[in-house]
Amino acid sequence: MNVKKFFELAKEKGLSDCQIQISKSKSTDIGIFRKEIDSYTISDSQSIKACGIYNGKFASCTTNRLDKNAFEFLINGIIDAATVSEKEESVDLFEGSEKYHKKNVFNPALAEFPIEKKIELLFQIEKDILASDPRVSEVETVSYRETESSSAFYSSKGLKLSQKRNLFTLVAGAVGKQGEETKTAYNFFYGNDFSKVDEKKFVKELIDELLPQFGGTQCKAAKYPTVLRYDIFSSFVGYFIASASADEVQRHTSFLGDKLHQKVASKKITISERPLDKNPFFTYFDDEGVATYNKDIVKGGVLETFLYNRETAKKDGVSTTGNGYWAGSKIGTDTGFIKVKQGKKSFEEMIAPIKEGVYITDIAGLGTGMNSTTGNFSCQASGYMIRDGKVAEPLNLITLSGNLLKMFADVKDIDKQDAIQSSINCPDVFIKKMSIGGK
Amino acid sequence: MISKSLALKVLNAALETGGDYAEIYVEDTKTNAVSLENGKVETSSRNESYGAGIRILNGFRSAYGYTSDLSEKSLLALAKSLAASYQGERKITVKSLTKQRVKVLNKIDQPLASVPTTEKIEVLKEAYSIIHESDPRIVRVITGFSDYHTDIEIFNAEGEEGKQFNNFQERGRMTMLAFASDGEKMETYFSGPARFAGWGYFKNELDWRKEAKTVAEKVIMMLGADECPSGRFPVVITNGWGGVLFHEACGHPLEASATAKGLSCFSGCIGQQIASPLVSAYDDGTIPNEWGSNNLDDEGVPTKKNMLIKDGICVGFMVDRLNGRRLGMEPNGTARRQSFHYEPTSRMSNTYIAAGKDDPEQIIKDTKLGVYVTNFGGGSVNPATGEFNFSASEAYIIRDGKVCEPVRGCTLIGTGKDVLMNIDRVGKDLALGQGMCGAASGYIPVDVGQPTIRLKEITVGGRGGELK
Repeated sequence: MNVKKFFELAKEKGLSDCQIQISKSKSTDIGIFRKEIDSYTISDSQSIKACGIYNGKFASCTTNRLDKNAFEFLINGIIDAATVSEKEESVDLFEGSEKYHKKNVFNPALAEFPIEKKIELLFQIEKDILASDPRVSEVETVSYRETESSSAFYSSKGLKLSQKRNLFTLVAGAVGKQGEETKTAYNFFYGNDFSKVDEKKFVKELIDELLPQFGGTQCKAAKYPTVLRYDIFSSFVGYFIASASADEVQRHTSFLGDKLHQKVASKKITISERPLDKNPFFTYFDDEGVATYNKDIVKGGVLETFLYNRETAKKDGVSTTGNGYWAGSKIGTDTGFIKVKQGKKSFEEMIAPIKEGVYITDIAGLGTGMNSTTGNFSCQASGYMIRDGKVAEPLNLITLSGNLLKMFADVKDIDKQDAIQSSINCPDVFIKKMSIGGK
Repeated sequence: MISKSLALKVLNAALETGGDYAEIYVEDTKTNAVSLENGKVETSSRNESYGAGIRILNGFRSAYGYTSDLSEKSLLALAKSLAASYQGERKITVKSLTKQRVKVLNKIDQPLASVPTTEKIEVLKEAYSIIHESDPRIVRVITGFSDYHTDIEIFNAEGEEGKQFNNFQERGRMTMLAFASDGEKMETYFSGPARFAGWGYFKNELDWRKEAKTVAEKVIMMLGADECPSGRFPVVITNGWGGVLFHEACGHPLEASATAKGLSCFSGCIGQQIASPLVSAYDDGTIPNEWGSNNLDDEGVPTKKNMLIKDGICVGFMVDRLNGRRLGMEPNGTARRQSFHYEPTSRMSNTYIAAGKDDPEQIIKDTKLGVYVTNFGGGSVNPATGEFNFSASEAYIIRDGKVCEPVRGCTLIGTGKDVLMNIDRVGKDLALGQGMCGAASGYIPVDVGQPTIRLKEITVGGRGGELK
């Protein structure tokens, strides 16, 4: 698209400054079920997000209808939104950071790797899951999704930035039956280097997740020393970090609001945002065109910084932290790749001192069970008892309840688990005590 | 949005390699949203989502693709790419497309997009004032209004004579979120009345002033609530939005997307008892102007009132075209999707437990010790195991048949089969509540519903220790 025309039209209609972000995305999804390709989905889509300043007010508009009227639609949308806006102050558009740390994280080899080989692997995974144990009754899904996305950013201040990435996700789900009991388990693998898929390991992890669940019961409702597996802990870290958003803090609705430079977690907890790490989550500029950088958010249990976009930074008289990302129709706050610093112990060493405790390996319903303003939460969970320092019998249909601040303060130990399973990379953690609901 | 001649070309390109059904779903959704923070307009936005999805079925297989480029070149390229996923000979050549009559079940008085933003802002400002002025402990109020107008064009064919359907959806939602603080604790309370309706409903029928007062009262009341106890005990669930229990525990596992592949705890259960004999349940996409209603589904099948459970016996599923083939059942107007980015599949619309005979007050009077749940955050389910959870954002302890102190932060968990069999009282006060449901074909508006019901016993999780 000719973005010059957008800027010309914007100027003609009275916008003092504006920016435009054009995103393109292509994807292929393949799902197999009972030895056949069950679903095949391909997509090719584009969208434009635009914002600008009209009569001193900042506003935005978005579309994916990229026809000849798109620019007019966007600019009129900005004007209409700015006209009714009652925000007391608006920020100027950004002129650009001094330095950007651009890296090429796009792996052309991913798309070049033959699709037939990828499909072959899916069938092999399905076959190996079914053959692994007679209790595996069905392979719910084996699916592969590959996406290629690019984003180009232009502003009337002359800033031009772009990035391109690709990523694949491999997902498998198995159903197991033993007597009247039905259990499910899933495994995921992310990346942009297909050669890193270890099929045998992937299947083994799935089966190891599925089979030990049989015979699960409820424990007695009580407070127990609790170990959260890395993937479960990462969900809680996501909510914790979201509360460091300056936007929530300035509106007095964050439980971290009055805690800058204070202890908000156990000294074992260090949480960093690392958007410049070379992995599929790499991003070197935010949606305001600000250069991102690696930083500690919580260091040794102390809250080091809030997360700012340009507007919230202006309010607090500080610099933006490069965390301005689109949230619906406005620039909100978000983070890139997050890493929680590992400990030195193995999982076995970490749980060795626990006489009677609970090890949580699955949760459900946290999205609706979390009050992100207060940090109070309650959700469905399953896992295992820990007895005399070892993982023991399975637990099913229990609840896990707590408060994020208390939970992070009560982290007694962390292990050295280091698997990039999502954009939040965590070790396993041992929490002194948490409320477990059951019998 | 695309011409009939282009649609014909695209369908025939899609069917070139042996597909036995092809479909083009064209969508143009215009969204307007305005949000006020403490009575001042914070954001006002407009969005347009425009594109098409093409689907080819071949037996039990499906190929789906979408694009935001509706040019002939783009649509034909997409159809050919999808057709290339099959290796067969053409079975069908579509010769004609006939426009079908679509019965409009949901009448719109004044289109929401035609209402000036300033008029919506006026309502939102008054709602803010009502909430804010109720109590000095209310420290933050977010009020908002969103409207969505979608024009849909579906072309499909499974023989020489194809069909064309034109449909529209017009939905609006008013949202009120209050935050209250006593200096130490903070609580929130949300209300989001929504309808498939025009402005007339929101202006004249919805008592949003009363709703705003309720939001203010509830957020203050919850500020003083204790933590919910945990354990297994009787639970009475209020009417309306309480139906999220049935939605999660039973609705999702009765969708053909789960039952057809044998992956649901209710697969093969038609004719079997899956609930207490007191329970009958429906999915009804035809209720005029309800949030989850539609004139026809996203495969062009008219919506219906589908009975799912009759006196505890499973009598039906929600069935889309593809999973209907797997089940040997006819599609029943329940194929839905968030947008052209998603392939349609069977989903709920307005799903509810039918009214029973009990007086709701008597149900509480007959409960010695338990919890009365009156508002919910939502929930989720694993259809294969039937294990579900839902979080209660407002609840009370019942002692000796009386509603006592409020409690917060509780989660109810169980399996669909157990919980449905455990319903021992069903009230006569059926009501519906509105929410958003997320699953394979995206986020869609749904109504959940039920009368007041009682569960003999269910696992409740909270931080308040033992129930006394």
